[in-house]
Amino acid sequence: MINGLIYVYCISNSHPELSRNTLFKGLQQISFRGLNVVIRMVSESEFSEDNLKRNLTDLAWLDSYAREHIRIISLLMEDCTVIPFNFGTIYNSQDSLLRFLEDYYDSLIEKIEYISGKEEWGIKMYFNHTMLIEQIDELSMEAADLEKQIMASSPGKAFLLRRKKSELIESEMNRLTKSYGQDYFNQLKKISEATMLNNLLPKELTGRDDTMILNASFLLYKDKASDFTATLNFLREKCVGFGFDIEFTGPWPPFSFISIKEKV
Amino acid sequence: MHDNVIDRSKDLTILELLDRVLNKGVILTGDIVISVADVDLIYLGVKLMLSSVETMEQLKSGQAIIKK
Repeated sequence: MINGLIYVYCISNSHPELSRNTLFKGLQQISFRGLNVVIRMVSESEFSEDNLKRNLTDLAWLDSYAREHIRIISLLMEDCTVIPFNFGTIYNSQDSLLRFLEDYYDSLIEKIEYISGKEEWGIKMYFNHTMLIEQIDELSMEAADLEKQIMASSPGKAFLLRRKKSELIESEMNRLTKSYGQDYFNQLKKISEATMLNNLLPKELTGRDDTMILNASFLLYKDKASDFTATLNFLREKCVGFGFDIEFTGPWPPFSFISIKEKV
Repeated sequence: MHDNVIDRSKDLTILELLDRVLNKGVILTGDIVISVADVDLIYLGVKLMLSSVETMEQLKSGQAIIKK
């Protein structure tokens, strides 16, 4: 019988060898009808509801624990199929955890089968406003046509046409970023089994000068990963000169693809 | 073959980490969980921290070691 709070990392389909890595020190496993739950006993002083809430406001604490959470699950993913849990999922007792496993058993088994052999990749696409404007005549036929007209016009008419062009540039930029974002998303989707769109993050959070236009996760078969990254590199090279940029991260445990609905 | 994300986990920014492990709606269960409201507060904290140029440079270079 376990006393204290139970911190859950993930559920796996088999029993991983926990002695093989020092990071696994202190981890325990609970088996339930073929499911294996990887846990750690944690103290009330850090993880009780109130204390956890307080610790979450301490970014150094959060950073180190969130990093550990990811590393442990990612390492386990090398040996087994894992259902990753959100950071900071705590059960008060083993009974309570077992009750969850019992209640959601069918759904958990279904998820294990679904994500077996797959992994998650994240991509974030950005565009640089200034760079795109500089290239607008190359990217937009309408803008290029208007530019030709401006060059051939009298100063008075050119002035009016320039005003018209600045409006056109705004709408063309909007169209271009959407069409690039959508096109790239579609090409990556072809290689993937499932996709998930995430919230676009504001500049205050990304710390970048350019604007995020796509934040998406892709679930793909592990043997498609090289296809996926090759496609990404190809796409990035194609658009980087126009002021676009693509960041990608992975492989991740399938965090974005295993939501399990709360039973009513 | 590709490197696993853990080999580069030192280089991941706190934002990448949180974007993955916090608000994915992974499993809404557990006796204690981090709520949506908590997540909003965390991001507010990250925003405040990022508004300090010094820490932002550290984060950009991947050294998310935060001075208290």
